[in-house]
Amino acid sequence: MKKIIIILTAFVCLAGLAQAQDTPPSSLGFTPKSYYTFSWNTTFTMGDFNKWVGNASPAGFDMGGRYFVKNGLNVGWNISWQRVSQIYDNETYTIPDKGIAINAENYRFTWMVPFQAVVAYNLMPEKMVSPYVSLGIGGDYMEHHLMIQEYDIYKTRWDFSLTPEVGALVKFGNFNQWGALVAFNYKWTTNKIELYETTSKNLQMLNLKVGIAMIIR
Amino acid sequence: MKTKLGFLILGLGLVFTISCTKYPPESDRLLEDLAVMTQYDTKAVFTDYKSYYIYDTITKISDAGASTINTATSSPVIQAIVKNMNARGFEQHTNVTDKVDMRIRVVYYQNTTVYTYSYGWYGGYYPYYPYYPVYYSSYTTGLADIELADMTTANIVNNQVPILWSAGIRGLLTGSHSTSEITGSIDQAFIQTPQLTRNK
Repeated sequence: MKKIIIILTAFVCLAGLAQAQDTPPSSLGFTPKSYYTFSWNTTFTMGDFNKWVGNASPAGFDMGGRYFVKNGLNVGWNISWQRVSQIYDNETYTIPDKGIAINAENYRFTWMVPFQAVVAYNLMPEKMVSPYVSLGIGGDYMEHHLMIQEYDIYKTRWDFSLTPEVGALVKFGNFNQWGALVAFNYKWTTNKIELYETTSKNLQMLNLKVGIAMIIR
Repeated sequence: MKTKLGFLILGLGLVFTISCTKYPPESDRLLEDLAVMTQYDTKAVFTDYKSYYIYDTITKISDAGASTINTATSSPVIQAIVKNMNARGFEQHTNVTDKVDMRIRVVYYQNTTVYTYSYGWYGGYYPYYPYYPVYYSSYTTGLADIELADMTTANIVNNQVPILWSAGIRGLLTGSHSTSEITGSIDQAFIQTPQLTRNK
């Protein structure tokens, strides 16, 4: 967790430093009216969710749009696609009162499609590096799969989710429409997993997003 | 330059994402994954049983009928069962005519699944036939079933023999596994049934 924060901070700082050397005033040259992002998303499961799938997963994408309302205040949306998965070798499930035991390799994965309304505040939106804080509120569609041999046991759920996020928009240059996005968020959901001998509730995760942004004047 | 780099990172991310989200298809899982399912009679008192006899052949039952599996294939399975039974304090008898408390038989049920696939697109109109050729393929898998019969209460006249313990191993004897994997799965069947023992 600490490593992730250090890497994220270093990335944002270095990006800002590099830009500052190119353009001393660090000014974008225009004040953006909106921007759209497309980022590669890596998920780190937490708590009960981590017991279900312990692996971090880079298999995910996120799209978002932000529309400036006043100064740095902006509102928008986010839609993501994410999958976390893990293979567990030789897990044994038992039904003691029936004398049954089953040992098998099993594949677990959860794929999720969060869709959220976002309110954000960008510090210095007209600058080359614009850090921001945001809060996403919305829903999460999740499918939890447990695959053993030819059996695919799964459950689907629609639930509420909340995502506070910190990040930075790093423009590629003066009057350039394109920039980079680096963000880190914590997501809390009311989603849960209720498959055989596995119960997890209020699924939580951390997400690291790295992507590009198209900035509209 | 930075824009290109941004797109490159994103592109690599896409490739990585696509490559790391695949699971083996059902046919591979059935062939390569061994699933060990056991069930014992919860009312049985295994310390009351002492001797057993195990049939040294494995019968294969498939669509083609019944046959006997060759010794090279069946021998490691039989030996692994004997090793585990003896380690749990049961006494093996090797004469089929001996009066024993339990008899063990292994039967292998082989199943061949034929499936179709097509690389084509389906038409937008009824009856939705694929435009491109449909390919046929198949995989063969099966279940090795180990049954431990209670001969002390068996009613041979009426063909009623209670089963004290059974172990079904999916994926065994498909030719996809090493001998150690095969014997390991037999060991696992015993490991997950600690009740099956005279050693108290």
